[in-house]
Amino acid sequence: MLNVAGEPPGDSWGIFAFLCAALCNLPAVPALNGTEELGAGQSIQKTYDLTRYLEHQLRTLAGTYLNYLGPPFNEPDFNPPRLARAEQVPSATVDLDLWRGLTDNARLAANYRAYSRLLCYLRGLDGQAGTAELRHRLGHFCSSLQGLVVSIAGVMSSLGYPLPAGPAGPPLPPGAPAAPNDFLKKMDDFWLLKELQTWLWRSAKDFNRLKKKVPPAVVTLRLEARGF
Amino acid sequence: MANPVPSACCVVLAAVVVVYAQRHSQQDSHIQYERVGADVTMKCGSMDWDAAVTWTANGTDIDDSHLNGSYLILKNVDLTQSGQYSCYEGSSWHLKYQTYLRVGTPPKEPVLMCRSNNYPKGFYCSWHLPSPTYIPNSFNISVIHGTREMVCEKDIFPKNRCHIRYLQLFLTVKYKVTLTVTNALGKNSTSLTFDEFAIVKPDPPESVVAKPVPNNPRRLEVAWQNPSSWPDPESFPLKFFLRYRPLILDQWQHVELLDGTSHTITDAYAGKEYIIQVAAKDNDIGTWSDWSVAVHATPWTEEPKHLTTEAQVTETTSASTSYFVPPPTTKICDWWAVRPWQCVGQLDWSWLLMVSSLFSEYAPSWGHERWGWVLGGHGGLRGSDVVGKGDTKQAVGEEHWV
Repeated sequence: MLNVAGEPPGDSWGIFAFLCAALCNLPAVPALNGTEELGAGQSIQKTYDLTRYLEHQLRTLAGTYLNYLGPPFNEPDFNPPRLARAEQVPSATVDLDLWRGLTDNARLAANYRAYSRLLCYLRGLDGQAGTAELRHRLGHFCSSLQGLVVSIAGVMSSLGYPLPAGPAGPPLPPGAPAAPNDFLKKMDDFWLLKELQTWLWRSAKDFNRLKKKVPPAVVTLRLEARGF
Repeated sequence: MANPVPSACCVVLAAVVVVYAQRHSQQDSHIQYERVGADVTMKCGSMDWDAAVTWTANGTDIDDSHLNGSYLILKNVDLTQSGQYSCYEGSSWHLKYQTYLRVGTPPKEPVLMCRSNNYPKGFYCSWHLPSPTYIPNSFNISVIHGTREMVCEKDIFPKNRCHIRYLQLFLTVKYKVTLTVTNALGKNSTSLTFDEFAIVKPDPPESVVAKPVPNNPRRLEVAWQNPSSWPDPESFPLKFFLRYRPLILDQWQHVELLDGTSHTITDAYAGKEYIIQVAAKDNDIGTWSDWSVAVHATPWTEEPKHLTTEAQVTETTSASTSYFVPPPTTKICDWWAVRPWQCVGQLDWSWLLMVSSLFSEYAPSWGHERWGWVLGGHGGLRGSDVVGKGDTKQAVGEEHWV
């Protein structure tokens, strides 16, 4: 329970931000034997919080990056149709009933695969982005996203599910059609960011569902254990 | 075997009735729409310009000054001139022409709102015109998602509302909703473009209840329920925002609650009536609901209703009538003391300063210099309370709330 008392919501996110940044710097999520269900519950909560943190971070990053791309990409109601090439980026879109019926394994695997691939694409952005400041932010975001992938892997292993084959899924075709022109390249970047944003929204819902299905998980965030 | 002659008569009779009705309805059903401020010319059906006719408006004869031959001229029409206009041939008084004149305006840009209060089931859009046109309007709504057009099912009630079921979730492409309003005098339209997530706004929490907690003069227990329109709070949990203040103050206290549908307020001012409201939001997406219906509650107090009795009873030494007499050993003399006059021997200036600064913080308009300090922390000032103004102490009349 957070006593906000009129403060802007950013203050509570600041706490999460520090916590999650600390968590992301852990080398790996240790698999727990013994109290595995308890561990899974905490891992799920941690992963959920990480998606929220990343979504918050992405908002700033996307704003900066789209400004760098320039109009029309940074216009608020820019709503282009999807081109066939953009479908290489894994999409969060899913039929409502299908999404409801996903098993825990399938749900986690979809998240894992998606973020692994999105991470690859994002890293591809790194070298070309405009200012040093922007490249630095992208780099930081990539590290956080890496932390998310590791966190999801941790949840899967603590629940006993095998990791999906290969971190990048099907490897990017070597002649991965580099965009024929500058505008289409920018379109690719636009869709990448959009899909990333949508995945983070979806993951919050995915992990909410998982939280409920892993009893008797203790899903409170323990700030004091981390020294904050 | 049915007799053919009567049935033939029935058929002929029916045909005559139909033709007669059609002829009359053709005369009656003619409607003419005109803009406010326009000039209207009505012709008397097929009559010649120079025929002698009489026009009536809603049964009242119209003065010849409005006539140009057999044409009726209405200049700069206004809303009051709507009605039934009839034209009768001069001498025979045959009805030659009849029309309903409806004066109105073309539609202004409509106001459109779309919202999902039942995520992830779907969303609804509702609309209205910012100002009336005074003539019938028809609305057409189109919802486009990417390349696909979706059908928005019109609701029977309320009117001017339609809803769409989501088939897919977590879409990257936005929805574009276009509303076109058309009437006989013109048309207008407006559009909204939005992401699936941006329009999520639950209905306010329901059944908000606030109760005092027995033997706790500073607590109030508040409980509520998820809005009934939210279909799946298990998978799409809501978080809540509670606000409360005593009626006498303007400043709200806020608490954000990430789980559960109840909360105990522990810092209520003793004896003050509180107003409490709750709002809801999806945990992750969308915006806050409107505030719920306000509930009122007052924390539990141990005061009896008639205080003059208490003042008299404390003077008696009898222990048997004493539920008014406070237990002699337990005196709560912290700064929130309910009966601070018992603590007179223990009061010090720091206590008084704290109380007075508390009141001046929350009621700066009262003016610290005017009211000094108030000894007593419950209800209004009662007969036995004492108000200090500077150095003089005066007893205040009963129930005089400063």
